[in-house]
Amino acid sequence: MASFVPTSADTLEDQRLYTSARLVEVACLDCLAKVGVKKNSEHHTSIQWTGEARQACPELGRRSSGREGHPACPRLMASIESAVREGQVSIGAEDGY
Amino acid sequence: MAETRFLDQGKPPERFARGWHCIGMADSFRDGKPHGIEAFGGKLVVWQSTDGELNVLDGYCRHMGGDLTQGEVKGDEIACPFHDWRWGGDGKCKQIPYARRVPLRARTQRYETAIVNDQLLIWHDVEGSKADYDVLPPQLPGLAEGEYTDWVWVAEEIEGSNCRELIDNVVDMAHFYYVHFAFPTSFRNVFEGTQATQFMESKGRPDKTGGYGDAELFLKSEATYYGPSYMINWLDTDYKGFNTEVVLVNCHVPTGPDSFRLQYGITVKRPEGLDEKTANFIAKKYADMFGSGFLQDVHIWKNKVPVQNPLLCEEDGPVYQLRRWYEQFYVDQADVEPEMVDRFEFEVDTTKANEFWQEEVAENLRKKADEDAAEEAQPETPQMMSGT
Repeated sequence: MASFVPTSADTLEDQRLYTSARLVEVACLDCLAKVGVKKNSEHHTSIQWTGEARQACPELGRRSSGREGHPACPRLMASIESAVREGQVSIGAEDGY
Repeated sequence: MAETRFLDQGKPPERFARGWHCIGMADSFRDGKPHGIEAFGGKLVVWQSTDGELNVLDGYCRHMGGDLTQGEVKGDEIACPFHDWRWGGDGKCKQIPYARRVPLRARTQRYETAIVNDQLLIWHDVEGSKADYDVLPPQLPGLAEGEYTDWVWVAEEIEGSNCRELIDNVVDMAHFYYVHFAFPTSFRNVFEGTQATQFMESKGRPDKTGGYGDAELFLKSEATYYGPSYMINWLDTDYKGFNTEVVLVNCHVPTGPDSFRLQYGITVKRPEGLDEKTANFIAKKYADMFGSGFLQDVHIWKNKVPVQNPLLCEEDGPVYQLRRWYEQFYVDQADVEPEMVDRFEFEVDTTKANEFWQEEVAENLRKKADEDAAEEAQPETPQMMSGT
């Protein structure tokens, strides 16, 4: 049961647009993790993990659940930059997002 | 042309969040009296028993609904002012002075407690689950060892807003410029499990005083929500070369569908060689600044409407993902979806937004110079911004 219930069907479409739309799968070059990546601009990166990918990442697995778990995995970031350079991930928003 | 866009104000949630909620500094309940705490649409009673434990029960007697917060602590129990029924910290009625025996069913709602960072936290779950001590906020290293000043603690009742408005600040990069007068220079969010984190580096705006505006102030902020209502914000400040490590706790208790009690505490790591009085003065100063920072937010919340379908531009933070994370606390444990707790990261290099903002600031400074060239500058006070 949802809590903050939208009253308009269009809101569900907005939720899809802003969360899952345009996510491109990028595989880590160092481990078996595959994540969803979106870049609205050169400056922006969103990374959506799955439970499976999280299990596969040895870097994050080594860290505690405290503050040290917050920084990005440097190997994954390098893999995303490489995917962007190769044109696998398009850069740019649609209608401002 | 595109159609007119409408706000979906949605419906407020039908329950209060599952998780740990801080209800105040633990020592404030240790005076041998019952304390009333408005929370979760009702009232709770808090008192200390002779073993030093703090006990939290529903505030109304299961006999005839008497208000236990107006009762008396008798031994280990809280006594109802109506008919003197005595309730223990375990939720059981221990004694009815005028009755031969106590009904077996005389059990009231009790809240499991924990003391973290000198504060009293209680577990709330409409499903009645056992408290999950694994998701407690962490104890600050060095706090119990006396490395920090005493907490400056402030509580503020907020009417007319659901507490989700407060949560939204975790992703709201742009409001720091417009509401709090600071430039974010780097911004990052991570949501995973029951935690949501914001990293930010910023400097103050030179064209504004008040809020966090001050060009001399550089700030590194890391703020994490541990569950739905308790945030720890580590702040490393650099004001004219003077570094201070500040910890802000920002927490709240929902009191109704559109009201909550905002509470914040400030402590400052005692700088080496600084006497206690000066360190406490610094903590008080920072607390005042946060007070005014929150008031800037509160003014916005009180006058805005709820929005389920925010319209975003590409420079905005991940508000939909944050709300998806926050939703986990409002559904049954069995209904928590993987997408609510899977790791999500967002980062933005704020150079672009800053280019525009720098221009606006320069223009404001030009105008100001024209207007009051003759006026003396106000004495400066260090300002800072937090993850709120």
